[in-house]
Amino acid sequence: MQLVSSLLQQMSVYLVLAYMLSKTPIFLPLLNISSRLTHKFICYLLFSLFCIMGSYFGLALDDAIANTRAIGAVIGGLLGGPVVGFFVGLTGGLHRYSMGGFTDVACAISTTTEGLIGGLMHLYFVKKERPDRLFKPMIVFAVTFVAEVTQMLIIIAVAKPFEQSYQLVSEIAVPMIVANCVGAALFVSILQDKKTIFEKYSATFSKRALTIAERSVGIWSSGFDASNSEKVARIIYEETKVGAVAITDTEKTLAFIGIGDDHHKPNTPISSKYTLQAMALNQVMFLGSGETPYRCSLSSECKLGSAMVIPLRAGKKVVGSIKLYEPKRKILSNINRSMGEGIGQLLSSQILYGDFQHQQTLLSQAEIKLLHAQVNPHFLFNALNTISAVIRRDPDKARNLIQHLSQFFRSNLKQNIETVTLREELAHVNAYLTIEKARFTDRLELDIKIDDELLDRRLPSFTLQPLVENAIKHGVSHLIEGGKIRIYSEKVLLGDCIYVEDNAGRFVKPEDDSDGLGLQIVTKRLRNYFGVHSDLVIDCQKDEYTKMCFLLPQPCLPDTQSGEVPSSSY
Amino acid sequence: MLTAIVIDDEFFAREELIELLHETGEVDVIDQAANAIDGLKLIHSVKPDVVFLDIQMPKISGMDLIAMLDPETMPSVVFTTAYDQYAVKAFEDNAFDYLLKPIDPKRLMVSVQRLAKVKSAQQPAHTQAQINALATKSLQQVPCVGHQRIMLLPIQEIEVAYSDISGVHVQTADKLETSQLTLKTLEEKTELLRCHRQYLINTQAIKEIQFLDNGLAEVITKSAKVVPVSRRYLKALKMELGIL
Repeated sequence: MQLVSSLLQQMSVYLVLAYMLSKTPIFLPLLNISSRLTHKFICYLLFSLFCIMGSYFGLALDDAIANTRAIGAVIGGLLGGPVVGFFVGLTGGLHRYSMGGFTDVACAISTTTEGLIGGLMHLYFVKKERPDRLFKPMIVFAVTFVAEVTQMLIIIAVAKPFEQSYQLVSEIAVPMIVANCVGAALFVSILQDKKTIFEKYSATFSKRALTIAERSVGIWSSGFDASNSEKVARIIYEETKVGAVAITDTEKTLAFIGIGDDHHKPNTPISSKYTLQAMALNQVMFLGSGETPYRCSLSSECKLGSAMVIPLRAGKKVVGSIKLYEPKRKILSNINRSMGEGIGQLLSSQILYGDFQHQQTLLSQAEIKLLHAQVNPHFLFNALNTISAVIRRDPDKARNLIQHLSQFFRSNLKQNIETVTLREELAHVNAYLTIEKARFTDRLELDIKIDDELLDRRLPSFTLQPLVENAIKHGVSHLIEGGKIRIYSEKVLLGDCIYVEDNAGRFVKPEDDSDGLGLQIVTKRLRNYFGVHSDLVIDCQKDEYTKMCFLLPQPCLPDTQSGEVPSSSY
Repeated sequence: MLTAIVIDDEFFAREELIELLHETGEVDVIDQAANAIDGLKLIHSVKPDVVFLDIQMPKISGMDLIAMLDPETMPSVVFTTAYDQYAVKAFEDNAFDYLLKPIDPKRLMVSVQRLAKVKSAQQPAHTQAQINALATKSLQQVPCVGHQRIMLLPIQEIEVAYSDISGVHVQTADKLETSQLTLKTLEEKTELLRCHRQYLINTQAIKEIQFLDNGLAEVITKSAKVVPVSRRYLKALKMELGIL
């Protein structure tokens, strides 16, 4: 009985050590089954040490040692696998062998076997994809029990003389089995607690990070400015529960929320040299813990006692920083530190995305401007050639053509006008057609019949002209005998349709060239301005006609009031 | 004096060029055409020294037109274009002259002098290789000129093409037309296959082949036209049909 209690005492010392170790980072690799070599090695070292400790703390008994060495070997094997288990057992066993006694060989063999048993169980549970069971105290208890029983059998079988070993085993078997099994189970239970805490910790951490991501997404897509930054700062302040949050660009504070907002004002130049340094070095900086003290650079009364500065990047360029503060009574906890770094990365990618979207918008605007300004060079030079011939025979007509050419170019250069009246658009088309008519002489016939009521309706600029140009370039100009272009309106249920029709019937879906792009942009602009009902509709009967039409919606319908429809609803 | 014709689908473009050519005092513009089909007919009938040829024309482009000419008898060609950066590169690469519209009279003078030199050298204006590099590789339709009308026959509708004393004829299932193209051009630029010195056959239109004595044969087309096959071409025809 005395043996039981002293072994339990020994086990307690052991567990206290295990508990203390669990507070150190050395323990972390043990919490998950990892196949990394360094982790395996740490596992080996740690449990070999426990084995050796078990031998030293053991009670000398009849030239043998009653001990808790098995805990180290079995758990080493369970957590590290058969190889680690074998070496832990071997190391513990050899150490025991060096201490001598009549059971030295038997103990060396049995400890190695125990490590191996642990290792094989590890293999078994990993194979069954239930590695979580390795951390169940009951299972560890059972495995240790089997290992200890095996040890006793080995001692009886190997240690000579038999009578002495039998005598020893009958004396130590029960106490050692109880102490080792309970010890191993408790040891794993400590590990498991640690694991649970850790996982809970990272779960809250991830949840908070995700909430911040979710709440802040898209805020900066309309620009990295003070009002957007204030929204983001508030979200971070609410979610991380730090003392205060600030966001700066490279020169000034854009937003400040939390303790100290009486003297930390947005829209003031950055005063902290650490912030500037963090941005210059593109590095996260911690202030207020360790050697670098945090002192508010604005006010000596400031309650803030520690800070973290995280640079914000757009791509590789630092565009600002985010700062998390805690008051003097608290310091930034580890969780807030790693969360801060995570937030930094998250926000950086959002800034980048915002930048990207902004570029895209600029690009599509540029694209439209380009198309406006881009006159088909073929048209231009042919027009000039026509005029050059007309000058000879009819200078007045030539002058008139030059007027039309000028008008056409003038309206092409009005790039900033988003919408025009149908009257203006028709004038533009007319200028274009007058030139083309002169060029094709009797090969081009025109018929324009638009309801007068519609002339003051507004529509996106450069809507009609590309359709007419298309009808000539890909239609009528391919007819030897010439052809006819009709531009007309037709009342329909939802408003009025404007048609551009040629009698060539040669429309094929354009390739992705500038013509195709031209029609795409017409459709896009119609849709943005009028809504989906106004998409360009193309109907082609081969060799008969190509009709392109779009809807001018009824102006009295709600949502389609001219000029009041948002034109940037992509 | 150089004789010339102008082919352009735009009235004013023709008029302007004819006027400018007249002003050079070196060129006699003997005729003009508003499309490539009429142009082809003119080239064959008036045999000018030089053709001023627009590229973008309805149905048959300038590039198609030169594919339809016999390289040996082909006149000098000067392309005219308002704007066509790719074509211009090809002209330069293949020693073809071209003029950009509106045409600069000084530049035109350079062309005219060059043309006069070519004429006096009495050599073909363009080499076969240069023409091949520019001309449309494979014609999809055959221009045919009738009385007061122009026809474009798609190759797949043609069953037989043959030549006789009155010219080259193309036979579809229900029509017989006269083409400006030579049998040689048709053989080179279309899928029609030579089966006789005077006949080309569309292999898709063959219904049966009857073998006669002494190595001759006759093809019966889908619309029951009988086409002679000479000994010389029978083997090639059989190979094409995969029956050899």
